[in-house]
Formats: sequence, C-alpha cells, structure tokens
Amino acid sequence: MSTATIGNAPGTTNEGRWERAVPVYGFPVVNGFFLALVAMTLLAFALTAYRELAGLGPVSGMNDAYGWGIWKTFNVMVLTGLGSGAFAVGIAAWLFKRKRLHALMRMALLTSFLAYACGLLLLGIDAGRPWNFYWIVFPWKWNMHSPLAEVAICMSIYAMIPLALENIPVVLERLWYFDSRLRPGVERMERGLHKFFPWIIAAAYLLPGMHQSSLGALMLLAGERVHPLWQTPFLPLLYLGAATFMSFGCVAGTTMLCCVVWKRVMDMEVLDEAARITAWLIFGWLGLRLLDILFRGALGTAFHADRFAGVFWLETLLVSVGGWMLYRSVRNHDTRMMFLGYVLSSAGGMIYRFSPTTLAFRPNPESLYFPSTIEVLVALGFICMGVAAFLLVVKRFGILPAPIQEWHDMASYFRFRRPYIRWTGYFKYGFFGENEPTDSD
Amino acid sequence: MAITRRELISTVAKAGVPAAVAMTVGAESLHAETESIPIPSAAVGLLYDASICIGCKACVSACSEANDTPADTRGDDLHQAPSDLNDLTRNIIKLYKPEDGSRSSFVKRQCMHCLDPACAAGCPFQALHKDPETGIVSWTAEECIGCRYCTITCPYHVPRFQWKGFNPRVTKCELCSQRLEKGLEPGCSSVCPTGAVIFGPRTVLLSEAKRRISKNPGRYYQERVYGETDNGGTQCLYLSRVPFEKLGLPELGPESVPARTLRWQRRLYQYFALPALLYVGLVQVIRQRLKGHEQEAHEREKETGLRAQL
Repeated sequence: MSTATIGNAPGTTNEGRWERAVPVYGFPVVNGFFLALVAMTLLAFALTAYRELAGLGPVSGMNDAYGWGIWKTFNVMVLTGLGSGAFAVGIAAWLFKRKRLHALMRMALLTSFLAYACGLLLLGIDAGRPWNFYWIVFPWKWNMHSPLAEVAICMSIYAMIPLALENIPVVLERLWYFDSRLRPGVERMERGLHKFFPWIIAAAYLLPGMHQSSLGALMLLAGERVHPLWQTPFLPLLYLGAATFMSFGCVAGTTMLCCVVWKRVMDMEVLDEAARITAWLIFGWLGLRLLDILFRGALGTAFHADRFAGVFWLETLLVSVGGWMLYRSVRNHDTRMMFLGYVLSSAGGMIYRFSPTTLAFRPNPESLYFPSTIEVLVALGFICMGVAAFLLVVKRFGILPAPIQEWHDMASYFRFRRPYIRWTGYFKYGFFGENEPTDSD
Repeated sequence: MAITRRELISTVAKAGVPAAVAMTVGAESLHAETESIPIPSAAVGLLYDASICIGCKACVSACSEANDTPADTRGDDLHQAPSDLNDLTRNIIKLYKPEDGSRSSFVKRQCMHCLDPACAAGCPFQALHKDPETGIVSWTAEECIGCRYCTITCPYHVPRFQWKGFNPRVTKCELCSQRLEKGLEPGCSSVCPTGAVIFGPRTVLLSEAKRRISKNPGRYYQERVYGETDNGGTQCLYLSRVPFEKLGLPELGPESVPARTLRWQRRLYQYFALPALLYVGLVQVIRQRLKGHEQEAHEREKETGLRAQL
C-alpha cells in the first residue's frame, strides 16, 4: 500500500498520501461568500412562505402541461444524482475493495447527505398538499407499484436513517476531541454504532440503488410524450448509471476544488483511482445508451434539426469528452484535465437526467415551460443552503482528506499560534516537533 | 485492490444465488398474473358518438352544476368558455376543424376511466383509485400529497391540478358518482339533446356502439370503438368519423400504459423478494469487509498514535 510511486521517484513513499480527515483550519467560517449564501437561503425561505400561502401557480412557471418544474426535475432528480457519492464511492470502496477510496468517503457522505436533505426539503415545498405526507409511516397506504411512491418513501428513509447514521461518526469524533469527559460515552456509542454498521451500510447501498433507478422509472409512465431518444425500458438503469459517474465527479471534483482553495496536497493515488473508475463508468454508460438507441431504431431522430437532437448531442458530447479527459488525465496525473473532465461529464449527466422531464418532454398539446424568477431563486436558495452547510462542516469537522503531516500542522497551529482556542481539543494530539514533549513522554 | 478468485466466487455465491432465486420466483408469479386486465363487475361508462354531437356545450354547464363547481368564466369574466380541462372544468367540448376544409368534428373530453389507469398506477398513496365495482376512478383529498404525478402519467392528459391557493385539489371527472348513488345519471348524459353521449354499463354501451357501426357501414373511422381495447380498455367509449388522434385520443395499443412500461419495475419489486435477498447478501459481504478494515485501522492507530479516522 505504501509503495506508491505517483508523483515521486520510484521506491520512495507517497508523501501526499491522504490518511487523515483534517478540518480546514485557519480560515474563518463567516466571510463574504458565506454571508451571501446565507442571504440567498433566507430569501428562499421567505419566498417559500409566500408559496405556501399563494399556491404553486403564482410563484412558478408550472402549468397544466408541465406539472413538474425545476424544483422536482432539477433539485431533486438531478442534484440527488449528483449527490449519490455515498452510494457510488461506497460501493467501489467496500464491495469492490478499492481501499484507497476510503479517503474520499467522508466527503462522499457529507455531499450526499446535504444534496438529499436540501432536495427532500424542496420536495416538501413542491408538493401541493405536503401535510398528507404522514401516510409515509403507514405501509398499507403505499402504492407498492408506483415509482413515485418508491422514490418518496425510499429517499426519505435513506436520507433520514442510513445516510444520517453514516455521518454520525464524524460528529462523535468531534465530541471525543471536544472534552475528555465525553469520551467514555462517545466510545460506547461508537461501539454500538459499529455493531449495526453492516446493516446500515448495506441499506445505504440498496436504497439508493432502488430510488435512483426509480427516478428514471418515473418517466416510463409518460410513454410517447418523452422523446424516443430518451424513452426506453432501460431508463431506470441509465439513470442509475448516470448517478454513479456524476457522483464520482461531484465527490472527487469537490475534493480537488477544496484542495486548491485551501491549499491542500492532492493524493494522486486516490484521485487517479477515482478518475479511472469514473472514466470506465462513463464508457460503460455511453455504450449502453448508444446501443439502446441503436437497437430501438431511434438513432434517426438524432439527426433531425430540432431541440431534441441538439440536447442529445450536447449531452453525449459533454459526457464523452469528459470521460476521455478523465481517461487521459490518469496517464500523467494532470489535475487540470481531470477536474475539467469531472465538470464536463457531470454536466452532461445532469443534462441527461434533466431531459426526460423537461427538455425532451412533449406534452400534448405542445406547450412551454420556463421557470419563473421566484422559482429559480428558491431553487438556488436551497442549493446555497447546502453549500453554506458544506463550508461550515468542512471547517469544523474532519471531512477533507489530507496527509498525516497536515494533522500535525493543525495540532501545532492550535497549540502555538491560537493557544486561546481550546474547544477544538486538537492541540493535545499531534507531533509538535523534535524538541517538544509528546503525550507518551 | 484486486479481488481474488476465491472472494469473487464467494461474493457471487452470497449475493448472486439468492438474487437468481428471487428473479425466477418473481418471474413465475408474474406469469400467473397474466396481462389480461379484470373488468369491474358493474363497470359503468359513457359512450360518446362524435358524429351526432352538435357542440351545444349543454354538458359543460350541466357538469359544473352537477359537481357544484363555479362556472369557469376566467376567459372574459362573462362566458363559461374554458379553453381546456382545468381545475374548474371536468368536461369540455372541443372542435377539430382542419384548415384544408376536410371533415371537422366536435369532441367531448373527460376522464376515460381506464380499466388499468396510469394515474392510479403512479399515485403514491392511492389518492386516485379505481372503484372495484363500478370502476370509477376517483380522487380523495385525504391521501393526495399534491405531487402532480397524475398530470404527467395520464396519457389523455385529464387530471388537472389547482395552481392557486394553499389547499390545492386535483380535478377530474368522477362520473358524478354522488348522482349515481341517488339513482340519477351523470350531468353530461342527462342533458345531451341529441344522445351523443349516453350513460350505461360498459357492456351495454359496447354492444350499442357495435350496433351503430354495423348499421352504418363506412361511417365510422376504422369501424371501431375507441376504448374497447385501447390502453387496455377504457370505460368511456368513443365513436368518430375523423381519426381518433385528431381528437386527442392517442393510439396507445391494446396494452395498458402501466402494464407496458412498468413490467420490469413490477417484476423486480414483486413481493419485495429481490431487494430483501440482495440486502441480506450485502450485509454478509460488508460484515466481512468491515472486519478487515477495522483491523487495518487498528494497526495504523498503533503506528501513528492518532485515533483511526477513515
């Protein structure tokens, strides 16, 4: 494991090997950007209150033909796909033994939780009669064959139980460092949690596998009204596939971005592994998509001069160019190309998941939908809420992967440069230099 | 990093064998439940003959009267002239008039009361449900979460959502079930002056439609009744002299939309057997992986003197 040679001369160890999750220290949580995000969130909340009183019509561009607007089709159907990292990265790491990917796990769990939480909140606002959601706890009321029931039930259970529990160890760890008096309790809880981990983790792979595919199954019932380039019995599988490579892009891409912003070392071993997996996921997905179109005989419609063909080529081009860039970037560890590959492929995947409900949806009679300003502001506000929560959490909890040296740097930062900040507890746990006595002495 | 052969085999055995069993079990039970859709014992419906409709719209106002909905005068604040079905309009008369001067036709649009309704198939908490006796598809406010999936799934684009107000409702024709209970006919058929729309049991309506076709050969489009088999069969039947598609009744084939599109979905979730078995298999594999992972973490903990994290 430690004989990696990436970025180093052969024989030496990988200096930047990510093996600790270190909070982003030395950067204040509250800055201009953070305040702007909070302001957007508050604005969205105010507009939400107006929406609850006025109804959906006055605040959105939705109409009888397009019953679903961007709240559902983008914030839920697209962004939860982008936030399936806990599912895709987790399966690669646990089931397929890509052990180095465990370094990205906390990022994956956090981004997933935030994407799902914000999506589900907006789903509640998008529902016209949200007070009837309480039927969710009465299984005999479920329509077991409805893809939407599957999505609504499975998604809420997933976000509230397995995904939330998977994020608990990070919180417990914070408590462990926070005060030594909490430790016996924290350790007891950790042991209890570990006992249930196989059941929790298995649920965290089964449930997203079910609802991410059912999101695709939603549009199956719309039949011919979804353009033939998209409407296929394989829609659930393609939605799931898109979620896997998009979420890899989201997790690895966000981690890379964080490394650049907060000047962290990148572990090319992990990033290459993630890029290689993403590239192959993309090639497999593209193959399935194109073969499906070919065998259904819908390829001809891709050459008509209409918006459908345009969207199709745009998304195919983005995904394939992104996949190719990821594949190439592994060869010489080109982080720039890798990041761009993630951005392009995820954008393509997002367009793919957005199309069947909106861009490639042809209601009868033909009609138009364009989101209204309030609708866009609310959608943006809920995304801003997720981003703000992410910024807060990475600066206060150990999420972002880093080499072990980063941990020691942080400990000595809190010990010597910020001795008045005691609450982190980190100042006691690190290697403070040659002449410093350590705890073991 | 790589998976050894032994692990691969054991993994496949643990997850794959139960999965395969579940697949076969699920598939067999699906064969038993063959594609034929049961017709409710007392299925009632409407027969609309577009060729004798004069477009008087008496049914439109009778409908809003029977259902106690205010007349939709939102167009010009004067006339009840909605342009389409909407949150106040369960029934509407439209006119198909081609520009080339060929045959035009009125069409009455309301819920088709499909034998296998797509709206009810998609409705998450069964707010839209088909009455097992009369086959009337109706909506209940108590179970509806306002997701508007019915407006997406209905191939006839019938259910309409109320876009204004904090307590929106879904509006669709429910065949005036409250009038049927009193022994009355639905509003629309009770006022039709020409008998273009008649109410009755589906079997009676179907034989009446076939009688009209055989009595007037060459009069009706394709000499067939729309709704006899279309979309798995509907309880509201149509006769027309112009192509049905022009009247907003798409050619959907003899299989119902849910049966056609959700076949695999239904097979995979049959009795929840496959997901349950997959779950048990996953737990086994992950339990084994966790053991190795914890051991490694423990060793690393000793090596670095720091609490294990990842």
